[in-house]
Amino acid sequence: MIQLAKRVIRQTINDKRSVMLILVAPLLILTLVYFLLGDSDYVATVAIDPDAVPAPVIDALEQQELELVDITGDEADQALDYLQQHEDVDAVLRFPENSGMDITLYEPSTKGATAISEIQEAMADINPTAEAEVSYVYGTQDQTLFDSLGYVFLALFSFFFVFIISAMALVRERSRGTLERLMMTPIRRGEVIAGYTLGYSVFAVIQAIIIVLYAVFVLQLSNEGNIFWILLTMVLLAVTAVSFGATISIFAGSELQVVQLIPFTIIPQVFFSGLIPLDLIPYHLGNLSYIMPIYYGAAAIKGIMVYGDGLSDIWGYLAGLTAYALVLYVINTQALKKFRKL
Amino acid sequence: MDIQLSHVNKRFGDTAVIKDVSFTVAAGEICCLLGPSGSGKTTLIRLMIGALPADSGTIQFGDTEMPNMAILKRLGFMPQNDALYEDLSAQGNLAFFGGLYHLPKRTREARIAEVLDMVELTDHKRKLVKDFSGGMKKRLSLAIAILHEPDILFLDEPTAGIDPVLRRKIWAQFQSLKAQGTTIIVSTHVMDEVVECDKGALLYNGRLIEYDTVDRLLAKTDSGRIEDLFFAASESEARS
Repeated sequence: MIQLAKRVIRQTINDKRSVMLILVAPLLILTLVYFLLGDSDYVATVAIDPDAVPAPVIDALEQQELELVDITGDEADQALDYLQQHEDVDAVLRFPENSGMDITLYEPSTKGATAISEIQEAMADINPTAEAEVSYVYGTQDQTLFDSLGYVFLALFSFFFVFIISAMALVRERSRGTLERLMMTPIRRGEVIAGYTLGYSVFAVIQAIIIVLYAVFVLQLSNEGNIFWILLTMVLLAVTAVSFGATISIFAGSELQVVQLIPFTIIPQVFFSGLIPLDLIPYHLGNLSYIMPIYYGAAAIKGIMVYGDGLSDIWGYLAGLTAYALVLYVINTQALKKFRKL
Repeated sequence: MDIQLSHVNKRFGDTAVIKDVSFTVAAGEICCLLGPSGSGKTTLIRLMIGALPADSGTIQFGDTEMPNMAILKRLGFMPQNDALYEDLSAQGNLAFFGGLYHLPKRTREARIAEVLDMVELTDHKRKLVKDFSGGMKKRLSLAIAILHEPDILFLDEPTAGIDPVLRRKIWAQFQSLKAQGTTIIVSTHVMDEVVECDKGALLYNGRLIEYDTVDRLLAKTDSGRIEDLFFAASESEARS
């Protein structure tokens, strides 16, 4: 088993692309996610007819982080046409007679939502009694989408990249005949799977340390809990990923087929990982998350990072992951009977 | 260690790929499995080494019936494709397999040096296998198969795609292993190679059509060419 683990480590180190995939790719994508979901500093552009909008409203709008564009009354009345011709404008704000406020947007988008949010804040400034004070048990109103969902990406990355490398390596081992040769030595079937898991676990530990330190200390991802528990969860998730990769490799005849199986095996897990609240998924389909390993990892990391949970709170998720890894270990060991009955 | 096959059968689905094959190879002999592509040579080797279970019949090495874990460490296997770890060096590949056979470190290092010298790869031992030529890969594959000094060596088409000079060198190595007492089962579709063997097992469509000493096999043909025995089998099968 140790020999096999050592070989996996040496082989992976000699393959620079695999090292990049395990250690560099997660940081690159995490950085992109940080910029995509972080504070964008976007300033929305709102068009108004200054003759038709009350002066206090214009004053309040000017106090907001908005760019105001003056338009004519005719243009305001034809807001849909105006927005189609001026794509740089996000919203047209009107106060029709005998009616309330009317906001027309080009399309439902984050940019439009920013415009609405700033207009609502301006209205609240005019009428402070309408301003709502929002409080949170966990987190703050100012936190970005990256702060709210960053934990999901830690779970996804620790699973996905190790899964890809290990599944590919095992399929290659089969297609090149080295697995058959390996099985002709006195190594036991269980030792083969355990050796693989141990070898990739070394990279999983390094990957987890790099990702967590980078996310928390460089990208300032908010964390209420103990970093050690995050690392433990990510390593357990990566160990499960190795076994999951080994299982998938049973059904794949080539590296291409591993890629073809990703939409069936990995992508559904992304949706059930916590990106979308499971309660919102209709027909109780959210319960499907219980058969998906990423869910256990993401839920545990969320508990630690968002709620400040300790081991006593997350042990159930860790037990779920461990059970998953053990079941896959047994399946994989049995699957190797294809190459040697004993 | 001798090898005894008794009424071995194997089917893949509805297709019978090995049909009632029986023969015995004495310890220290070289036995050629000869036959055209698809005749069942590789399947028979995989049955013998325990990679496939036989549907019926028995395979025995000495007194031990296969499959058997304990006997695996006494077998050497060189598969048809090179089956090497291309991201490791020649030495890395050998060290890995030496470890799996539980060779003590000092013995392992000595044997690695010995087999590398035998297959003339000592100067390339630190080179990654992906940078090797086809012939170098074949030689390294052979080195791995003999690293742990097996009693029985299975070689599946070891000289396929090899130039005549290297082929001669590889056969010289087989003869040298035989001289040390190793029993060798070698599959080939190159009929000329039969003269290097003590015994010949001629397989045709999964059936053992002839099994004898090479001298007696050659005497059964008018031309002294083994191919004639296959032509006769083919004609006989067509008639029936």
